[in-house]
Amino acid sequence: MMEYKDYYKIMGLAREASQDDIKRSYRKLARKYHPDVSKEADAEAKFKELGEAYEVLKDPEKRAAYDQLGANWQAGQDFRPPPNWAEGFEFSGGGFTSGDAGAFSDFFEQLFGKAGFHTSGKATRGGPARGQDSHAKIHINLVDSFLGATRSITLSAPEMDAQGHVQVKHRTLNIKIPKGIKEGQHIRLTGQGHPGEGGGKNGDLFLEIAFNKHSFYRVSEADIYLDLPVSPWEAALGTKIKVPTPEGSVDLKIPANSKQGSKLRLKGRGLPGQAPGDLYVVLQITLPSAETEKAKAAYQKLQQELDFNPRKSLGV
Amino acid sequence: MNSHELFLVHTGEVIEEGGLTLGQLCHACDVHAEWVISLVEESIIEPQGETIQYWRFSGTSLGRVRAALRLQRDLGVNLAGIALALDLLEEIENLRLQMHVAERG
Repeated sequence: MMEYKDYYKIMGLAREASQDDIKRSYRKLARKYHPDVSKEADAEAKFKELGEAYEVLKDPEKRAAYDQLGANWQAGQDFRPPPNWAEGFEFSGGGFTSGDAGAFSDFFEQLFGKAGFHTSGKATRGGPARGQDSHAKIHINLVDSFLGATRSITLSAPEMDAQGHVQVKHRTLNIKIPKGIKEGQHIRLTGQGHPGEGGGKNGDLFLEIAFNKHSFYRVSEADIYLDLPVSPWEAALGTKIKVPTPEGSVDLKIPANSKQGSKLRLKGRGLPGQAPGDLYVVLQITLPSAETEKAKAAYQKLQQELDFNPRKSLGV
Repeated sequence: MNSHELFLVHTGEVIEEGGLTLGQLCHACDVHAEWVISLVEESIIEPQGETIQYWRFSGTSLGRVRAALRLQRDLGVNLAGIALALDLLEEIENLRLQMHVAERG
């Protein structure tokens, strides 16, 4: 069972769109959803879908075949190709060259086959050839960089068996996460990439590190930022308070007359390493609400005692 | 996969500043050296070392080469456009972080 895909709808086009319209629409949407550029949450999925739609509609042969299915299908509807599907069509050459064909949907594969799935596009060479390097991204927690950790990741890659059928193979690797690793750094695992050909060595696997969002720490390079709520009197009078760090809480001295947004640096409390990062505590002055009579009275007292105009700089 | 492999922990090496040669970078990204050289000429990536055989690239370069490749392939951006896009993206990323730092004020 698979779902019908409305390639025109995905590209925001009417069925009569010209080839120029298709190209223009692709360019526009590709810029919008390109995973390197877009911050939309589902950019990657959208971009893949768009690539697949464009793969079909830009190619007059494939487009004609797709159009032949008729306009009465709804996106998401259960789909089975008609019995004489694609009779008289020959999907030669065109396509599969640019897109990541491995990422196309079952719907696409059912219609146009899995042709062109040769992984590297390189002609078989006589001698041994080193396998391609492969890439993956791995998401870790901040604490993993502090303490070092072992993470297991599952990689999937299309592989061709002896009969030429393509299957997606999964393998799980346990990876040591070195202490002090930073976002955007790469770990190279020698020989864990694609298999070599004709007795050649395997390629390497490159893992790019990304951090999961932490509920209160933010990381920039090796430095860590923490928003720390403080009361008005703690900020005004100064005090010593406990602040959390990824390695446990520490005492921090808040100087008197601290301002909202003041940054206090805890040297060397950032990510560990040869040049360890710093932890920046950003003060967030938090007002108690004036809900009780007592609180109201306290605020009124402040109002009477202090000649305070917070809008002085605005001249009013 | 046998049970021994299940418990095998792979220790990789972290690519530090200047960790990759031109050849390793090309192989890792599956691109020609000529193309990487043109990225260096456009200052999209900046290796350490004076001459090509002494060039050493960081892990960040690896990310930038792969992003450049995708921008060229998917959006048809030329080298100058890639350089501009990557620099602006980096700036946006920094601004976002600063904004994030400042916004809960």
